[in-house]
Amino acid sequence: MSVETHAHHEHPDVVGSRNRLGVILLLVADIAFALSMVFVYFYLRGQNVNNMWLPAATEEHAVVTPLSASPGWTVTAIVTFGLLAHFYGLKGARSKNQTQLKLGSLVAFVASVVAIVYQFNTIATAPFTFSDGAYVSCFYMFAILNFVHLALTVFISLGNWNRARLGIYVSDHWHVDIVRVWWVWMVVSSLLGAFALSNP
Amino acid sequence: MTTVMSKPVSAPGKSIIEKLNFFTALALGAISAIVVWRLALQFLPEDTEVRLFTREDKITLLSMTAWLVGFMTGIGALVGPFRWLMGKDLSHEENMFLAGKDMGIKRYFRYTTDHKVIGIQYLVIIMVIFGIGGILAMLIRTNLGSSEGGWIHPQAYNSIVGTHGIIMIVGTIIMVTGPFGNFIMPIMIGARDMAFPRLNALSFWLIVAAAVPLLWGQFLGGISTGWTAYNPLASQAPLGMDGYIMFICIFAISTMVAGANITTTVVRMRAKGMTWNRTPIFVYGVVASVALGLPAFPVFFLSQIMSAMDRALDTSFYNTAGGGSGWLYENLFWIMGHPEVYVILIPAIAALMEMAPVFTRRPLFSFNVAVMGIAGISGLSVLVWAHHMYLSGWAPLLNTPFMLTTELISIPTGMLFLVLVGTLWRGRLWMTMPTMSIFALLWNFMIGGITGIYLSDVPADAFLHGSMYVTAHFHYTLIGAGLTGALAALVYWFPAMTGRMFDKKLSWVAFWIVQIGFNIAFIGMFTVGLAGQPRRVEAYASTFNTGNMITTGGAYLIMSGMLVLLYGVISSWKSGVKAPKNPWQAKTLEWTVGYPVPLENFEVLPTVTSDPYGYGKAQS
Ligand code: HEM
Ligand SMILES: [Cu+2]
Repeated sequence: MSVETHAHHEHPDVVGSRNRLGVILLLVADIAFALSMVFVYFYLRGQNVNNMWLPAATEEHAVVTPLSASPGWTVTAIVTFGLLAHFYGLKGARSKNQTQLKLGSLVAFVASVVAIVYQFNTIATAPFTFSDGAYVSCFYMFAILNFVHLALTVFISLGNWNRARLGIYVSDHWHVDIVRVWWVWMVVSSLLGAFALSNP
Repeated sequence: MTTVMSKPVSAPGKSIIEKLNFFTALALGAISAIVVWRLALQFLPEDTEVRLFTREDKITLLSMTAWLVGFMTGIGALVGPFRWLMGKDLSHEENMFLAGKDMGIKRYFRYTTDHKVIGIQYLVIIMVIFGIGGILAMLIRTNLGSSEGGWIHPQAYNSIVGTHGIIMIVGTIIMVTGPFGNFIMPIMIGARDMAFPRLNALSFWLIVAAAVPLLWGQFLGGISTGWTAYNPLASQAPLGMDGYIMFICIFAISTMVAGANITTTVVRMRAKGMTWNRTPIFVYGVVASVALGLPAFPVFFLSQIMSAMDRALDTSFYNTAGGGSGWLYENLFWIMGHPEVYVILIPAIAALMEMAPVFTRRPLFSFNVAVMGIAGISGLSVLVWAHHMYLSGWAPLLNTPFMLTTELISIPTGMLFLVLVGTLWRGRLWMTMPTMSIFALLWNFMIGGITGIYLSDVPADAFLHGSMYVTAHFHYTLIGAGLTGALAALVYWFPAMTGRMFDKKLSWVAFWIVQIGFNIAFIGMFTVGLAGQPRRVEAYASTFNTGNMITTGGAYLIMSGMLVLLYGVISSWKSGVKAPKNPWQAKTLEWTVGYPVPLENFEVLPTVTSDPYGYGKAQS
């Protein structure tokens, strides 16, 4: 190996593509996590151990009926809206339209807040207790972890909007591109949860 | 004019980055844990009669989480993200400060981002881990020195076995990728640092944070389940189990972050001209290891979150009475658990493959086969997990396919063997401790691998499962192959990391004592295992006396050898012979930068024009 001279300067595109790969790899871990949840769900549903997937009525409590699937789909709809808003903002950044960027980012942020409040509400008002069988366990698992994802989304989209507001993305906008990757994953993971929970 | 002390210019008043360090982290972690513990005691509702003890679990888990958040805040992990949020990205000066510029010894106690500092931090923490795990091992072996059970209370004994197991597994997972993957690998590929220096610091400090719950758990009934923490056993275990759960969750986050970081670094930051077939084999080993961990550890993470939910919230993932399944846990655990053994093994073998050409002065015998072997092992390793569950009754029909996949792994494993043997074959060997370690690995891993094939055979496993034979098998792979490679890596890269040579005599003495002690200890364990002694028991039938005494004797030898090695590390680091620039005359880039390595490694980034094993034509 020989050592030769070579000037040292890092272009934003280089840094951007590096960051993008890093985020995608972190998402690989997160995807493995989400797929394991889906595995847990279908495993327990398939086994229906002791007929306790959805326990029958006993003297103490009525039959456990699965939550109507709509909350899962509603959250998914809200985050999809967030993704679209973010994408609208990103297009603004690409066409050097800062106003569009700011507007899109703000709406995306608001969507993430609405989604997390809604998700919290679903958990808090769920019509069962933790020990109501395996379906319910899975419901809480999906809902709580979606809540954690949404908390991250709130943080990220708030930062994204704030930085857009401050004009940081005038010269290069690879941060905004990467935040979109996150939003896409947020939609997909909500979708997984909604799909699983509406197929009891 | 006198020279002005060049203090880093900082904003008026000390900025928050400058104030935070290990001690503020400890303080904030402890305070948060105590506050949350008191609040939880005060306000959490009592358990109902139906379900006792979930309240205690809630309190414990909440306090441990508070510890984590407090500690990570106190070390400064949140500064970067919040500065991003506020749109005030870290300035160049601040980044230089974080990298530990002109800071001396203090940078080892901070959220320092320089990969070389982190490499040393890992090295030290691994020595601590092996020290603690080793003491626990000696307690186990001393207790097993005589058949009627010893002086350790059975409950405590169980916890010692479980803690030894998990702490050593974590230690071996990070023993190569931690110190050498961090210190050496970026220089080896001609980079100035990791792709994400702050994430690098994050993955290290998370491990420090994780240690505390594990320790904490020891005072709450310990880890009585063995390192695998099978459910529903774990959901019935004392509160100490929550310490295990937190430990694993935090460690899983650390490995995910490290995996993304290291992989990005290698994919994106190799020097100009370092094409994939000019990339040193050690780099492949490190990447394969962390990339395998990337999808594997989240599964473990989830399994522990569900464990925590079962314990603290009374859900029923693993509780059959509520529709859960213990087999679910076993599946999740081993889907992570088997890839994880290769997470441990691959970088250790790759380190030895890196050294083999150096000490034979000839090219690696088939670089391509080595890469294929590593890739083959990684690919297959996710398809074999149920060989740990043959006798669990989970899916008898799947035993045969899993037997097949498991035995198939010996093919890529054999390739790695061939590469090492082929490189050594008829070479003129430069006999050093690393060279000897290659031979030791070949011997030990032959035994470890072949006994593995017996274990993967369903009828044989029906007899061997749950016996000391299994324990001996995996110690042959973990110590005999993994640790042997890691210790060789330590001696080999010691000059690059400390500027001094590792004392040759001490390295040889330690090598021989450890290897002889190791083979005595675990051959002894194979014999009692074959004779039927179950693992994880505190007392045994007197027929197993002799074998156990041999094993205990061997264990004391290993300990003495490791103490010699420790002495070697300390004395060589302090006052060893100053190392010349490239003491082994190797051709990889980490030997071009000298010692101490400048903050950003290279004045000008290197360009690579050939592969690193061009030692001329083979001279045989
Ligand atoms: C040729 C390669 C190998 C084969 C065929 C093999 C096969 C097996 C089988 C079938 C078992 C299950 C035995 C039982 O529980 O009854 C087992 C256990 C184990 N193996 Fe291997 N193995 C191989 C290599 C390795 C390597 C390289 C490592 C680590 C670096 C390793 C670590 C372990 C561990 C930790 C366990 C036991 C886990 C436990 O039950 O606590 N093995 N092996
Ligand atoms: Cu295995």
